[in-house]
Amino acid sequence: MRVPSILRGGGFVAVLLLLPLLGLQHWFLNLLVFVLMYATMSSAWNLVGGFAGYPSLGHAAFFGIGAYSLALMFKDPVLANGYEPFFVLPVVGLIGALIGWPIALISMRTRADVFAIVTITFLFVVQTLAFNLHDLTGGAQGAALPVPPFPAASFELPFYYVLVLLLCLAMGLTFATMRSKLGLSLVSIRADEDKARGIGVRTTGVKVLAFSVSVGITAMVGGVWAYYEGFIYPQFAVDPLVTIAMVLMTFLGGRGTLWGPVLGAVILEAGQQYLTYQLGAVQLYLIVYALIFLMIILLLPRGILPTIEDRLRQRRRRQRADAATADAALDLTAGSDPVTTDHVDALGGGTT
Amino acid sequence: MSALLSVHDTTKVFGGVRAVDGATFTVEEGSVTALIGPNGSGKTTLFNIITGYLACDTGRVMFAGKDITGSDPGRLYRAGLSRTFQQARVFPQLTVEENLVVAGGYGWRKLFTNRVGRDDRERAGALLEEFRLTSVADLLASELSYGQRKLLEFAAVLMSSPRLVLLDEPTAGVNPVLIETMERHIRERNAAGITFLVVEHDMGFVMRLCDPVIVLDAGKPIFTGAPTDVQSNPLVLDAYLGS
Repeated sequence: MRVPSILRGGGFVAVLLLLPLLGLQHWFLNLLVFVLMYATMSSAWNLVGGFAGYPSLGHAAFFGIGAYSLALMFKDPVLANGYEPFFVLPVVGLIGALIGWPIALISMRTRADVFAIVTITFLFVVQTLAFNLHDLTGGAQGAALPVPPFPAASFELPFYYVLVLLLCLAMGLTFATMRSKLGLSLVSIRADEDKARGIGVRTTGVKVLAFSVSVGITAMVGGVWAYYEGFIYPQFAVDPLVTIAMVLMTFLGGRGTLWGPVLGAVILEAGQQYLTYQLGAVQLYLIVYALIFLMIILLLPRGILPTIEDRLRQRRRRQRADAATADAALDLTAGSDPVTTDHVDALGGGTT
Repeated sequence: MSALLSVHDTTKVFGGVRAVDGATFTVEEGSVTALIGPNGSGKTTLFNIITGYLACDTGRVMFAGKDITGSDPGRLYRAGLSRTFQQARVFPQLTVEENLVVAGGYGWRKLFTNRVGRDDRERAGALLEEFRLTSVADLLASELSYGQRKLLEFAAVLMSSPRLVLLDEPTAGVNPVLIETMERHIRERNAAGITFLVVEHDMGFVMRLCDPVIVLDAGKPIFTGAPTDVQSNPLVLDAYLGS
């Protein structure tokens, strides 16, 4: 039976809101903060990479743009209650989206692998800028953000709840997209963009809009991350691995689905943290990442959720076909004697 | 009758090949005009130029009294000029019904409304009925047979109430029964006021359905006239069979 989406969404949000009340330890809350960050960013990436089929590798640039935007807004490190940086997040998102607009207009003239290369080039341009614009970013010395004046006992909670809000925003937008003609247009672009153009789909406008919204959300997550970390460096704020993680999580869970990116983020981010603990600080987890990516391509090329959905659909169809043969058998024998449903299986088996 | 579409002295060169070489012709409003010619005579290139998929090197294309040279395909579609492709192109991940709805040519505000709204369902439903696709409306388009996809593609371009439809080989790879169906749909829609320009290799289909017939050879029209005159024209025979 299908659970109505409103119940599923409501239940998910309720669990997220109640989880910290269980008195979780700091390391676990820290893990959840990162899971939420990646779940939000993967959901955002999914709008472009999943629905429109444009595999952007430049999203981490906007993560960094968000981080540095927030750092620049709070160069003066006196905070009254510590919530001020959260209130300017919409501005950070807007900055990301506004920078994303022309980038999308230019880069989305290319497609598929070329688009991936153009966007990753943008990422390295932004990273180089972050290293060299000392006045803005502090260069390799890094940039400091004000210290959040939250009590140590519940330090993670404000970040946690803000990220829950951002995840709800990303998933809400995904849900609305899937339910609207916007989503229909995006899927048609992924399937056959030239054909879509010829039947009046506003291809350029729709995909540029999706990109801007997507990188806007990514920038907001970058802002939260910067505030959480307290001190940011170019190589971590604009990190290709952040992009790779978003892509991998979305692919693992299922592109173009509502829950896929979230599922992927839960599995991979939790897994990565666990592996880091187990394997120490060495970057061995990267090899495991590569292994997971290979496994996905080999075993689940469409991701977990679409594969399960396919299996279910096939089973339903088989059941329907079985029911149809059973009905036919019923019709044949209906004239002679009444058949109870208990006999149907035997009859169906007998006639096929 | 007046000219709904006119192509003036249009040229398109690919490297050293003059795919379209100073082509000039018109399509009268209300007609079913055929565009035939041997392989490589520039039919599909002309289609691409007319529908905005390709920019021509020189020349002009006029549609409904306006210069549309170099216009965007989407804008042309919304203005009433639509086309189908040689290989049936539908969206395999969308259902049959969604394949129709997506072709509605929506403005920005409409994009934020329901994926398949009530009035969309009505409009699509009428077309599905007309094309006998109602029973497969909820299937993914990837599950349709090739012929059904051709019908679906044709039905989809009618979602926007076009004035001129360009059909690129509507019967290629389609079984004879479906060819008759396709013919009937074109006739009915033509009677309802839609003008057609058809590229086709099936001469029987062209002879039954189209008037006039434009014969293209080496990128320019060499003959325009009634279907009965085509077969006896020495220029046409020469182009097809060689001298």
